Amino acid sequence: MVTCLGDMFYPEVGERIVRLLRALGVAVDFPAGQTCCGLPLFNSGYHADAAAVARRTVALFRGAEAVVVPSGSCAWMVKHEYPGLLTDPEDRRAAEQLAGHTHELSQFLVRRLGRRRFRSAVGGRLTYHDSCHLLRGLHESESPRALLRELTGAEFVELPGADECCGFGGSFSVRLPEVSTAILDKKLASVEASGADCVVACDAGCLMQMRGGLSRRGSRVRAVHLAEVLGEAQ
Amino acid sequence: MTTRAEFLRRIRTEMGRTAGLFPAETAARPTRPRERLEILRRELSERWPQNLERFRHEFERVGGVLHRVATAAEVPDAVARVAQERGMRRVVAWHADALGLDVAGPLAARGLETSAAPGGEVAAAEREHRRAVAAAADLGVTGVDLAIAETGTLVVLSGAGRPRSASLLPACHVAVFDRDALVESLAHAGLALEAWHDGAAPEWRGASINFITGPSRTADIELTLTRGVHGPKEVHAVFVEQGLGPRRG
Amino acid sequence: MSEAPPATPLRERAGRALQDTFLQEALTIATTKFIGLRREAFDEFPEGEALRDRARAIKEATLQHLDQHLERLIDNVERRGGHVHYATTAEEARAIVLDIARRTGARMAVKSKSMATEEIHLNEALEAAGITPVETDLGEYIIQLAHERPSHIIAPAIHKTKGQVAELFARELKRETQPDPEVLTRIARAELREKFLEADLGISGANFGVADTGTVVLVTNEGNGRMVTSLPRVHVAVMGVEKVIPSMTDLAVFLAILAKSATGQKLSVYTSLVNGPRRGGELEGPEEFHLVLLDNGRIRQIAGPLREALDCLRCGACLNVCPVYRQIGGHAYGYTYPGPIGILLTAMLNGSESVRDLAHASSLCGACADACPVRIDIPRMLIELRKEVGERRIAPWSERVVFAGFGRLLQRPALYRLAARVGRALQRPFVRHGAIRGLPAFFGHWTRTRDLPPIAARTFQERWAELEREGRR
Repeated sequence: MVTCLGDMFYPEVGERIVRLLRALGVAVDFPAGQTCCGLPLFNSGYHADAAAVARRTVALFRGAEAVVVPSGSCAWMVKHEYPGLLTDPEDRRAAEQLAGHTHELSQFLVRRLGRRRFRSAVGGRLTYHDSCHLLRGLHESESPRALLRELTGAEFVELPGADECCGFGGSFSVRLPEVSTAILDKKLASVEASGADCVVACDAGCLMQMRGGLSRRGSRVRAVHLAEVLGEAQ
Repeated sequence: MTTRAEFLRRIRTEMGRTAGLFPAETAARPTRPRERLEILRRELSERWPQNLERFRHEFERVGGVLHRVATAAEVPDAVARVAQERGMRRVVAWHADALGLDVAGPLAARGLETSAAPGGEVAAAEREHRRAVAAAADLGVTGVDLAIAETGTLVVLSGAGRPRSASLLPACHVAVFDRDALVESLAHAGLALEAWHDGAAPEWRGASINFITGPSRTADIELTLTRGVHGPKEVHAVFVEQGLGPRRG
Repeated sequence: MSEAPPATPLRERAGRALQDTFLQEALTIATTKFIGLRREAFDEFPEGEALRDRARAIKEATLQHLDQHLERLIDNVERRGGHVHYATTAEEARAIVLDIARRTGARMAVKSKSMATEEIHLNEALEAAGITPVETDLGEYIIQLAHERPSHIIAPAIHKTKGQVAELFARELKRETQPDPEVLTRIARAELREKFLEADLGISGANFGVADTGTVVLVTNEGNGRMVTSLPRVHVAVMGVEKVIPSMTDLAVFLAILAKSATGQKLSVYTSLVNGPRRGGELEGPEEFHLVLLDNGRIRQIAGPLREALDCLRCGACLNVCPVYRQIGGHAYGYTYPGPIGILLTAMLNGSESVRDLAHASSLCGACADACPVRIDIPRMLIELRKEVGERRIAPWSERVVFAGFGRLLQRPALYRLAARVGRALQRPFVRHGAIRGLPAFFGHWTRTRDLPPIAARTFQERWAELEREGRR
């Protein structure tokens, strides 16, 4: 599942993931006709539309052995909310199936494939930002860190306040832009104080927010997706 | 004005519209709490030194000062020392029956103006007067009904001879206890609360129970901790190793 | 409808808060401190997680038999000589308390901290009736003198500097002051001691009402709760119906987690159990005890979408961890209860229209649900409120149109792909050095402070055919 933000704005991340998985011996397919998981509709309360999108997405991925998602928030939407949105028992069963087979990228690599050692595709010091849905929705804080710690050719430092929101929150970022930006400023101050060259995230929304802020400040720190630091498998 | 019946009817109507969110139970209540409390006390009496040590640690953590004396006869000396170190002269105290010892006489003998609470009901004018005395006092001496080791908490039951003001109005509160008061945890305190409310309350029992965990405090101004906001600025506990005399409580 | 809506829109109120440099600093320091204290307290308390589950279960189980528990509470309060009153609305609650106050002949009432009395705007009503309410919790006392409302559920004057407090005391109390918390506390102690001893009427809230025994429980740190419930001749406790719990054994579960969640303390300094009026032999204690049971929108939620919010212990933990609260503080929310739970409570008391903007004052990060001692799923209910606001057409027409369009787009992949191509064409004039800096209208909300990536020259879907071929080689 490439996700809407991944498809439109970060296609290189999707590409890297496909190549990475193939290098690990995983056959990768991409069902055509993907749009969005529906999270923006769901979060703003448009649940009838979100349910329609969910039904469609479930049908698109029917029969998949595993679905890998580059964003924690989208993976959460599929695993956590899809079954509840679909009232028809057939649909719900299919959604539960899909939920069971869906993994965010770091979870897939570490927990499903048991692979955690990679060469780093970037040098220097890396730090990690916990995206809210991955951390609190999917209870995942270990897999990304395991991957980052074991990278050869890069140093990992823990980010103070890593578990604090970056301020994206989907439509929140434009409904209350000043507040969203103030929250972002706090996050970026922490990132810059950490001494890291790169802040890694497992969510396109967080990436868009942090990269948008770092670039506006002219910061030398880069915000990257996990897939962008994972080089050759070891 | 809404009546009881109308109020409850509305609640029942709303309750009837839902099964609730998930199957849930409240805590299991002990069936014979007074008995269970007795059994607990007997068990705890074997572990009192560890519990006292734990109590001391927690009590000091919240700013309390623990003193140890061997016998009840030494308590007035301990109280007098606390008072004299602070230049304090006026003391109010629980009645001797509630404390398990007489402090009024011995403290007066050491030059402290001491007023012990009456043992029973007195007229409103007398109560007013006593309140003024307590408000003017520097130090209040009380007993302790429960000392909770887990949290460093002193639990006091109010009643005849056990005025609430003694642990509230003076700037310094001195609480006297022995091993019988020690319990380990909040869960034990819960059992005691069940036991105390089980059946008819004894004549002397009042309408207030207070859990006191250190001196009065606030951090409302710039999160800076200050003590003695409305209640006492200092809390002392005097542990009597060989036990207090028989007391009402 | 309990509270009048704020005069200015949320974005403006938030904007003002963001400009207030002292507030920003105070919020950061205070919330960071509370977060640390809470974390430490639970780190040393391994039983904590299990107790939180139990506490949540007790609250839910109580709601499932709320009528029975309340009846027991009422019967037991009356058995001990107390009086119980029933307030369906805030107005009724005010009338009940005023009536008691008048019959008491009170000129002045001392109050211990009670969000329930804030919620019903009791102080204004007392003042209008010629009775002076005196807030005795130091933080509440400060904001009362300043004619402000609390900005945090448990630390109401968090937004004030010690300098501001000193000036306030000097001006209102006509006393020598210094910007030193010790000095200021001593002044407050002396001023309020007089009031405690003089007042005929004491008004409190209630953290819990124990049904088995008819006991009202107050959790405080300063001692004002004890004063207010022991010294004046009449004591009135105002209690939301959801505060009832079945037994003392249940009480012990809540006491074990409440203070830890609020301030990191194992227990607050005073946990006061009030068993009705003074009994014979006692020197202190009120001659009359009144319990006012408050509905004010709570009962409707028993079967409503905000039922879980009835579990709230008013500890403030969710405020301390909320990225939005931490930036804008309590006043910007515009209603009595701020922070994540505050949005839900505001909807409960004033209807969902009142939170059409506030329901979006959240990034849905979930830190609140994580911190809540009874595990209230606040984000889920915020989404429900957003849904209700949308369904009942309270959300602006323009928003509903945009989302409806978006919803349709996501179900038509060909249209979706076309939209990408159109977007790519439209964005061209705005792309500089690989980033978009200034977009007009609505999109400016993003680009004013952040760069935006352009839509890729080739989306992932457009690259897939090639990637697929690569895979087959």
